[in-house]
Amino acid sequence: MTSTAERTMELTLPMVEDIEIAAARAAANLARELGMSSDKIDEMTHAIVEACINAREHSGCADNRIYLRFAGTSDSDESRIDVWVTDRGRGFDPEEARKHRPRPGEAHKRGRGLQLIEAHMDEVDISTTKDGGTTIHMAKVEKKNG
Amino acid sequence: MAEELKVAVDRRANGAILYTKGYINNVGGEEIANRAYELMDQGLKTLLLNLRDTKIVNSIGISILIEIIEKMMEKEGIIAFCCLTPVILKTFHIMGLANYAKIFDNEESAVKELGLS
Repeated sequence: MTSTAERTMELTLPMVEDIEIAAARAAANLARELGMSSDKIDEMTHAIVEACINAREHSGCADNRIYLRFAGTSDSDESRIDVWVTDRGRGFDPEEARKHRPRPGEAHKRGRGLQLIEAHMDEVDISTTKDGGTTIHMAKVEKKNG
Repeated sequence: MAEELKVAVDRRANGAILYTKGYINNVGGEEIANRAYELMDQGLKTLLLNLRDTKIVNSIGISILIEIIEKMMEKEGIIAFCCLTPVILKTFHIMGLANYAKIFDNEESAVKELGLS
């Protein structure tokens, strides 16, 4: 089994309109280099978009920055990308957010960001503390045939 | 780095097809809503949104699409979508939009079923 060296990338982005697209495109470029399929890349980019929007809309951070880190590897068995989206804002209670979100398939206008992230990614974990910021770590894994 | 959404309208005898091009976010969603409400105010009750040139949607944009659907339902009309990428289709199901709007694989089948030819 030959594994590629881990490819990493870090970005610090201002919280301005549509900045989530820049983050998504950077991750998509890395995923393409690793040979990930377009459907998997699309799912990952939609999750990154939602994570960045959550940071921009809800973090209330003073520095108005989103910190992103990407790490990708590929071998004969699978390609994998890990993404960390961090803000230095007020934090939130993920369990409380999950408790109040609508059920899947129920039409609801807001509050779907975390649900979409969890649906589109293979692994999601959230580190958040009151006034200590939030990091959403998520991973996309694609198994290879044969 | 605003990502502008473009909307083109093709009026048909019994409704209209709206072609979107670009990112459906809050601004893009409002652009679609403005065009859709204009058509609804003119009495059109069947609108097909062809998303073949839209590759990314976000939850805020979809929330605006849900508002358009609700407004059309009040008028007893129909909103339908076609040509969605797999991830947009999945997102529509999660957001609940797929429960209230018809979704077609392609424009041809949508036009036929909706009587938009």
